[in-house]
Amino acid sequence: MVSLTLDAHQDESRRAQREADRWLIAGTILMGTLVLGPVGLPVFCRGVYLLRRAQQVGLSVRPMMVTLIGYVVILDAAINSIGWGLDVFANHALITRTIFTAWGNLMDGGYFWHYNELWIGGAGAPGEKAWIIVCIVVVFPMRIAAAIGLLQMKRWGHQWTIVTCWFGVISWMGYILNMTMYADVRYAGVALPVIGWWLYNIFYITPFLAIPYLHTVNREIFSD
Amino acid sequence: MIENASKEGSASSADLPLGTTPAFARMHKWLKRGLFVCLFGLVIEGALTVPVIAVWYGWPTLSLTEICSELMKVRYSDDTLECTQPYPLSGPPFGGAPEAAGQQTAKDQWGIQPVPQYPHVGFRELVRIHNERQAANKP
Repeated sequence: MVSLTLDAHQDESRRAQREADRWLIAGTILMGTLVLGPVGLPVFCRGVYLLRRAQQVGLSVRPMMVTLIGYVVILDAAINSIGWGLDVFANHALITRTIFTAWGNLMDGGYFWHYNELWIGGAGAPGEKAWIIVCIVVVFPMRIAAAIGLLQMKRWGHQWTIVTCWFGVISWMGYILNMTMYADVRYAGVALPVIGWWLYNIFYITPFLAIPYLHTVNREIFSD
Repeated sequence: MIENASKEGSASSADLPLGTTPAFARMHKWLKRGLFVCLFGLVIEGALTVPVIAVWYGWPTLSLTEICSELMKVRYSDDTLECTQPYPLSGPPFGGAPEAAGQQTAKDQWGIQPVPQYPHVGFRELVRIHNERQAANKP
C-alpha cells in the first residue's frame, strides 16, 4: 500500500513538474528573443505559479530557487548572445548599424566610436571584440549547458553552474576593468555616461546572486 | 542555545524549500527576490531597447536609414557620409571591407588612451540637425 502511495505521489510530482516546465521553457524561449519578451514573461510566470502551487500541495518538485537560477542564467546568456552575435555576424545589417550605434551614442561609446571600421566590423573599442567573442563562443554556451543540467537536478549541473557562474564573475570584472582603462572611448560625448550604462546592465548580475545560493544549498538534492 | 538559534532562523526546516537550511533561509529568500528583479528587468528593458532608442534618435520622423546616416556623420565629422543600405553580404566578417574602412575624418585626440572629439547628441537632436541640413541644401 505504502509503495503504491509513494508511486502515486512520485507520478503526480513528475506530471506537475513537467507541466510547469512546459510553460517555463516556452516562456524562456520567447523572452530569449528579446523583442517577444512581453509575450514570454506571462507564459513564464504561469509556469512559476504552477510550480509554486505544486510545492504548496506537498509534491516533490524542483525548488523555486534552482528553477529561477537555471532559467535566468539561460535567459541572460541568450539575450547577451543575440546582441553580441549581431555585432559579430551582422554588423552591417541596418538594424545593427542604427540601433547599436544609437545605443552606443546614448550609453557606451564603445559601440559608437569608429563603429564598423575594424576589419571584422562592429564595435572597435580596445579589447571589446575579444570580450564579445570569448563570451558568445565560450562563456554563454557553457552557462546554458550547465543551467540545463542544473534544471535536471543533476550533480554535474550544480557543479558546472558554479564553475560557469564564476566565469560570469570574471567576465564582469574583466569587462568593466577594460572599460575603465579606456573610459574616454566609452564615455566621452555619450548622452548618459556611466550611470546610464549601470542602470541598463545591472540586471545582468545574476552570477553574483546565483553563487551564494549554489555554495550554500544542500548539494544532496542533486543526483548523479 | 540551540533553540534560540532555530528561532533566529525563523522557520523550522519543515517549512523551508528543499535544499535550504535554516541558517541560510533568509539569504536564499533575498537572493530569490533579487533574481525575480533581474528577470523582470531583463525582459522589460530588452523589449523596450529597440523602440525607445529608435524614438530617442528621431524615428518615426527620420527613417532608420536616415538615423544610421546621421549618426555616421556625427561619428566621422563628415556631412557627406551616408549609410550604404543594403550593404553587400560579402562585407565583414565574411572578408569584404567594412563600411568605415580607411576613413580619415574622425576627430580624435590620439594617444595611448584615445579621446573622441565628436559632439554630444541630445534627445531627438538628429531630427533638427537633419532638417537644418536639408533646408540649407535646398536651392
